[in-house]
Amino acid sequence: MATLRSKSDQEIMELLDEYGIKHGPIVDTTRPLYEKKLKEAMAKDKKVTKPSSDKTFYREEQEEVTYVTYRTPVISEGPSGDGKPYMRSRPEYSERDFVDEKLYSRSRPEYSSGRQYIDEPHVYNTPSYSSYSKPTPVVKSGGGVVKDEKTESSERLVPLWIQFLVFLIVAGFLYFIFINMESVESNPFNRIQ
Amino acid sequence: MSTTSQKHRDFVAEPMGDKPVTALSGIGEVLGNKLEEQGFDRAFVVLGQYLLLRKDGELFTEWLKDTSGANTRNATSCSQCLREWCDSFL
Repeated sequence: MATLRSKSDQEIMELLDEYGIKHGPIVDTTRPLYEKKLKEAMAKDKKVTKPSSDKTFYREEQEEVTYVTYRTPVISEGPSGDGKPYMRSRPEYSERDFVDEKLYSRSRPEYSSGRQYIDEPHVYNTPSYSSYSKPTPVVKSGGGVVKDEKTESSERLVPLWIQFLVFLIVAGFLYFIFINMESVESNPFNRIQ
Repeated sequence: MSTTSQKHRDFVAEPMGDKPVTALSGIGEVLGNKLEEQGFDRAFVVLGQYLLLRKDGELFTEWLKDTSGANTRNATSCSQCLREWCDSFL
């Protein structure tokens, strides 16, 4: 961009209009002020037009059928034979730390009922498993620290663990109330004699 | 009681005529000298600049700060002074 000094008054005026800066006539005494304002506006503009787009790019990548990404050692590999189905957090495609494609026979996403525990790596991430709602990914022989897997990068006002804690407290409280309710074994419909 | 100074009230009470630039509210001796160096030796010249900037308080304040090194308070005070004067006499 050519220096502002060399532009004509008319051009300065046009630039000011472009940036939406209110102005009066461009005169000897007003010109330096407008040049300064234009410089600030241009600098601000340059800063704004560089969004970080890696995240979105990443997410698109996740839509592909085969995962080729490697995963961090947080999640243990399947076949250690828990016998229990893996309740991976469901296809939150935001987590991209999956094992190599050997474990994911993603080529059969049709098995919607999750009956296919035949293979060792029972790690299905297809979206059709409604039963695998993405609750507490407890079943992890690796001592699952899956929680932070997908959220470590997001900014939260209240830290995640606090949210979990509050949730547990509230749940415990409700349970406590529930337990202490009166039992309803007797027939409530006694006729009043 | 308004928060304007006596200087302000004096200035907006009557047409400025040939008053020096230091008659403006917020402009003391130091700032006045700086402005005079730039050619703004009378209050009406500064008024001219204010009008050129379309009577925009923010623009004028910024200009004044750049030109004379005034701080925000003084510049705002001068701007307000001129605005009120214009309301009455322009």
